Formats: sequence, structure tokens, C-alpha cells
Amino acid sequence: MDTIDISNLNRQFLFRQKDVGEPKALVAAKFIMNRVPGVKVTPYFGKIQDKDEDYYMQFNLVICGLDSVEARRWINATLVNMVDPENMESLKPLIDGGTEGFKGQARVILPTVSSCYECSLDMLNKPTAFPICTIANTPRLPEHCIEWASVLEWPRVHGDKKLDTDDPEHIGWLYDIALRRAKDFKIEGVTWSLTQGVVKNIIPAIASTNAIIAASCCNEAFKIATTAASYLNNYFMLIGTDGVYSYTFEHEKRADCPVCGGESLDISVKKDWTVERLIEMLVEKQDIQIKKPSLSTPTKQIYFQAPPQLEEATRPNLEKKVSDLVADGGEITVTASSLPFNLSLRITYT
Amino acid sequence: MAQPDSQELGEATTAIHAQPDSKTRRYDRQLRLWAASGQSALESSRTLVIGATATATSILKNLVLPGIGHFTLLDPKSVSPADAGNNFFLNGYSSIGKNRAEEAVPLLTELNDSVDGKASTKDIDELLRTDEGREWIKSFTLVIAHNLGKDTIETLSKLLWDGLANPPLLVVRSAGFLADFYIQFHEQCIIEPHSETFPSLRLTRPFPALAEWAKSTDYDAIDPTDHAHIPFPIILVKETEKWKAEHNGELPKKYADKQSFKSQIRDLQKKMDEENFEEAEAQSWRISTEVPAPSDIQSLFALSPLSSSADSQSASTASNTVFHALLQTLKLFVESPDGPGCLPLTSTLPDVHTDTESYVKLQKMYKEQAAKEAALFKDILKKTYPDTPLDDSMVDLFVKNTHHVKVLRGRRWGVWEEDKNAIASSFGPAPAATATHLALSSLANLQAQGIEITAEALQAGVVSQLPPNAELPSALDDAIGELVRSPTADLPNTAAFLGGMIAQEAIKMITKQYVPVNGYCVIDLVESWTGIVGAP
Ligand SMILES: [Zn+2]
Repeated sequence: MDTIDISNLNRQFLFRQKDVGEPKALVAAKFIMNRVPGVKVTPYFGKIQDKDEDYYMQFNLVICGLDSVEARRWINATLVNMVDPENMESLKPLIDGGTEGFKGQARVILPTVSSCYECSLDMLNKPTAFPICTIANTPRLPEHCIEWASVLEWPRVHGDKKLDTDDPEHIGWLYDIALRRAKDFKIEGVTWSLTQGVVKNIIPAIASTNAIIAASCCNEAFKIATTAASYLNNYFMLIGTDGVYSYTFEHEKRADCPVCGGESLDISVKKDWTVERLIEMLVEKQDIQIKKPSLSTPTKQIYFQAPPQLEEATRPNLEKKVSDLVADGGEITVTASSLPFNLSLRITYT
Repeated sequence: MAQPDSQELGEATTAIHAQPDSKTRRYDRQLRLWAASGQSALESSRTLVIGATATATSILKNLVLPGIGHFTLLDPKSVSPADAGNNFFLNGYSSIGKNRAEEAVPLLTELNDSVDGKASTKDIDELLRTDEGREWIKSFTLVIAHNLGKDTIETLSKLLWDGLANPPLLVVRSAGFLADFYIQFHEQCIIEPHSETFPSLRLTRPFPALAEWAKSTDYDAIDPTDHAHIPFPIILVKETEKWKAEHNGELPKKYADKQSFKSQIRDLQKKMDEENFEEAEAQSWRISTEVPAPSDIQSLFALSPLSSSADSQSASTASNTVFHALLQTLKLFVESPDGPGCLPLTSTLPDVHTDTESYVKLQKMYKEQAAKEAALFKDILKKTYPDTPLDDSMVDLFVKNTHHVKVLRGRRWGVWEEDKNAIASSFGPAPAATATHLALSSLANLQAQGIEITAEALQAGVVSQLPPNAELPSALDDAIGELVRSPTADLPNTAAFLGGMIAQEAIKMITKQYVPVNGYCVIDLVESWTGIVGAP
């Protein structure tokens, strides 16, 4: 779905200056077919979520070069759900790679057989979040001033107009506002580059690390496709900042993995907790990573974030105690727009 | 502090004019790692790559994209059908029969207009035979060789080892799914290893302004809001002083003492959840880590510069001379009665839970002290080394990184193999990596002698590198099996993987940022692991 940005050119060997602005998939496919005789690459310029199981069923394996957790969770859950134990053809190996600076990892996921992407969600770095009160009242770092500009000032001044972090005009506006804020508070260090880095959550990326991880992914695909050698079981991690350190290990399946585990997630809740408190706890939980969860039991709706009428109708429940709505050992189903599956919780009270 | 007036912010004109230039935007994702200083080192570098194989062009791809200054790709051979099938930087079958380097270079340089790339069809062995050829090889910043014959590598590595100013040599060998590489260098001085540890905040030896702030802080006289905003360094300085006064000037050292020190801080809280006191408790580990100089920095004080009378004038030796002058100055700084008795303060203050005013004040205090100490450092430097040409920005960078600077001392390629017992003892900690390395060496020996590659011949070659009766790990059979299967294959995936690994190391060597491998890095893409053997 992505188009080529000038900042891709420091590591993307299929794109040139003249391709900036063009769809990545189309340019890459064309370049490869030009260079390598006899190879056929079919580009698809669109969202992966717009394709259904029939589409994914036609392939033998899937390699991910995705840049977001959300998209990875989606393809992972989709491939796990596709597995039909009666039909081995439905099991599509998923190869996933990612990098950050001189570090990277590659892994092979055999949906339902080995640990899946969701099983290892707690290995991700916690994103740095700045408390709103710090941003609003006691900024200390240039990052606090930038967050003030993007989180508080942008919606206050521009209303419903969406912030486009790829638009240099928008970054310029944020930079200007953040700079003034910093000046007022005598804080140093607000730059264009930092502003862009904070609002886009930019992760450093270089050609060499990406080559290592891409090669590793292709190498595993090659071994699976040709059976020339056994493939990675199942996780390869590389750190190149201090010499070369790598670690190859088997990441274990989680019995309570909401995607491949089949068991509900056990959650213990204090007897006097309100529904609102439970939601807060779920949002903070590193191993499930959801933003706006909606909750229900098999028989009733507890709280729904959308549509507005339903939200309004269920809002009074936020103040009720969970224990008044769900029995000890009872189940709650969690859904969220960022969650590509329904999460089942088993509630026990303490 | 009053809230700044934000009434007219809506009218703010956009600062789009402040957008960086297109070069900065192109390199944005890497400048965040090695900054303008690393980029400029890359741009002034000249790399020689010997052998236009799939691996070599993959390495170059990853050096051209980030913008090295110049490369020369050296190869007299013509493109074979096998090359056309595995090398992405050839024009497919239409390249067959043409020179390998000349076919690859245009496809590499078109990746980045600012890189100057040249093909050379000369033969490395012939170049090594003439003075002119040898001087030409030595004129590069870095030399990379892939799958060169054993004799050629021996001659080349000796040539480049013979002179401190000669370029480092990266020797890469691969066959099928297996590979190893080695960087031959005399000395790598790293000012910015990008260590993730925080330098000392001077909590146990506070400078005057910091000590004064701590001393004048009266927990009881402060109103409750400000009490919850006392910065943790102030709390820790104050409580350390108190602890020392009550414990004969000693810091809390034993576990039990550290626990009581923590509870001493906890008891200061006036309300539940005063985050600044929680932070002070959580950060109290810092006070037991504040030594005058960490042991690895102290060991650098005793390091004497490498010397070789022949090339004391050359540029690269001179830059290490400056680095050693800086190290000796650092030692004098730590010992100086006018100094703090420890490494210079760096001005980097982590985020501290406090109000804006206190934070800015604290940050200013740290910055001013850091500037004072940097000035003292420069005074000592000038007095001690009046004749050394110094680059002010390099000195500043050094002073900022004195907690982290590193010096690596390397060895000549092949030295490790001269000690058979050292190799045998490497089987213990790294059986598979050692076995794979030996099998690759054995393969190179057989190829040099024109002997047929069989499992028996490879095994005999490995045994000959070991002391009599050395026990062989089972991993050796796997490595030998893989080499017999594909002794000459340059697999595209292995080539791509090595292309990334070698380029990473080349960038670390050229920028002198981050830490390169010292020893052999062994790679097995059957089981997907890497390992290090033969580190000095
Ligand atoms: Zn799972």
C-alpha cells in the first residue's frame, strides 16, 4: 500500500530517485522482472487486510516485510485461522523479519504448530509514552514539547483535520510550535529531525542490516521450498552494535496465546474493580497490546467503543463493578479494531 | 512557571523552510545512527573490493546505498553462466563473456549518484608483484577480498600488515551455506561505540553547585508540591552525604546496607507515591557504580601507542597518535589536583521527575560544570602535547565519550592458526564455529593445491591444523558434509547475508563508530547461527 519516499533510498536497491512517490510494489516488481530473466512477480498495491482467505490460500508460503505490529498480528491471525487439520495444504509457513539500526531478527512460524507472532508479543519494546500531565505542565525534554504540539495543539487548532506525518507542511507546523514551546520553557534540542522522529516514531534503518535479515528470510524460504536443508527452528536474533552477536533459539508456544493457544487468558481482578479499571488494565498489558477494547459476555454487552449509540447505551456499565456483571470463573470476550481476533478472558476474583 | 501565552499559535506560519535538504532526507534513517561525522567519514572513504562475485557485489550494494565516497571493483575474469545465475548486479545472460567487474560497476553506481565507482580488470597477483601495484592497493581506506586463493591472501595480508598506516583487510570466505570472515587491523580507536549505559552523574563526588543545591534543600521547609519535585540527583547527593557521615565516610556496599539506604530514601516521602522519591530509590544503584574511572578505561591508560619508525608521518598513524594523546590527557585529568578526581562530566542528563524550572536549572548546572571540566582537559592537553595538531570537535567528542571510548588491538590474518593448542581449546566453548572455520581453511588448502575435494581430504586437512590426538566435535562432520556438497557454490542467499554482514563491519571500521568483530566470525545458514572464534 506504501509509496516510495526519498528516505527509503538509503537502503532500497530496487528504487531510484525518479521513483519517489510511486507505489513500492509496482516499482519493485518491474525492476526485478527487468533484471532477472524468466522471473514473474505479481505486484499488489493495496492493503493486506483487503484480501481474504481464498487469496492467501493460493500461496505456499508467506514472507513478511511489514513495518507495523498491527499488520503482522493480522496476517499471523489470518494464517493461523486458515489451518484446517484435515488439509495440510492449508498450513502456510510464515516467515517474518524486522530490523532496527544494527539489530534485527528473522523467524519461521508454522501456524498452529510452532510459536506464532502473537505468542511473542511481550518481546516487543514498550513504546515510550509521555504522561499527559508532563506534556501539559512540566515539560523537560524537547520530546515533551513536540508531543505537546502534536497531541494537544494540533487538534486544538486544526479540529478534525487529520495530522499527516508524511506532509512536510504539517511537520513544519509542529516543529514551529514545539520550538516556541521549548523557547518559552528554556528547553534546548527541538530540531526538525527530532520532531519528525518523535511524531513518526522513526526507527533507524540501514541497507546492511536489512540485507542480513532479508537474506535470512529468503534463505529459510529457500530451504522450506527446496528441502535442501532443515529450516530455522524458529527464531534468529542478531545484534551488530558491539561485534556480532546472534542467538538462535526455539521460541515456545504460549498455551494461553489468544490466536494459536485455544485456551482463554486467565485474568485476576479485584472484587471491587469497575469495568473502567479493567479496561485500563487491559490497555496497559504488554502481552495483548490493545487500544480501545470493547467487552461482552456470551449473554450481554458490557461496554462497546462504537457505534456511538451503543457506546452511549453501555457507558453506564463503566462505573459498575465487574463482579456484579460476570461470575467468578466467567468469560469476557474482548474485541478491538486493532485486534484481528476475539480475545477470550477467564475472570477470577481476588 | 506561568503557562506561555498560546493564543496566537494558530496563526503560526509553517516552518517548512526549515526542512532539511534532500541529501539529509535521503540519509535520514542512517544519520540517526552515525550522524554527520559518520557520514562524512563514509563519504571520504575509498574501498577496494577484490573479486566481482555475487557476495562482493552484495557487499558493495550495501556500501553504495549509504554513500561511501569511492570503490574500485577488481576482477580480470569474464562472466560465466553461473555468475549470470546468482549475481543480481549483472545484466543476466547478456553479461556472459564480458568482464565481471565492468559489467557489475554501472549497475552498482546507478544506486547512488554521489558514489564514484570504478572497475579494474587487473589481476591481483600481478599487482602484488610490482611496487606500483602494491602502493596502489595500500592507497585505499579499506580492502575487502572474497574467496581469493590462499596464497594470494597470504601475500596480501602480509603486505597490508607491514605498516601501521596500511588499510585494514576484510577476508571473506564462503562455500554453499557456510562462511567466515576476518578483519585484519592493527588498532581500531573508537570514540563513539554508542554504548547504551549512562555515564556517571557525580552523585558521590558532587561538584560545588550540585553539592550546594543538595545542602540548601530542607525537606521540611519546602511546600508539598515542591517536595514532590525535588530532582532525584539532589535527593541522592543529600542522602549519600548523610549516609557517609553516619558510616565513617563509607558508601553502602553490602546488600543489607543498600537496602537500608533505600529505606532511608523511602522514609523521606511525605505522601504516598511521590514519584521523585520513588525514582531516587530506583536510581540508587548509581552511587555504587561511581568509580574514578571504569576498569576498562583505566586499562587504556596503560596502553602505549603502537609504533613503527617507517611510517610515523602517515595520516592514519597520526590519527591514532592523537587518540593516544587524548587517552594520556585523560589519565592526567583524573590524577590532576585541579580536577574532580574522576572522568570528566558529560552534559547528558537523563529525564528526571521534576518541574520544568528545576530540570532546566539542573541541566544548566551539569552543562556548566561539564564545560569547566572540558576546559581543564584542553588545558592539560595543550600543556602536555603542545605540538600535536588537534581538531577541537574531535576533542569535544572524546570528552563527551570518555566513559565509553574503546581501543581494539587486532592480529595479522592467520596468526591464530599458528597456535594449534589455541585452536583445539576453542572446541570447548565454540565447537561448531571452530569446526566450520577449520573446515573452510582445509577447503582453501585443498583448492590451493588442486586436490580433489572429498570428505576424507577435508578431514585430513582439519586434523593437520590440530595438535596430535585432538578430539573432533561431531559438528565437524556436518561442516565437511556441507563443503563436499557445494565447495564452490556462491549461493545467492549466502551472498546476500554476507553482503549485509561485511558491509556492517566495513561501516564500523570506516566511521570508527560502533564496535567491529575482532576474530573470525563464522556463519552457518543451514542452522542459521553465527559465532566468533580466535578473538585475541
Ligand atoms: Zn500463538
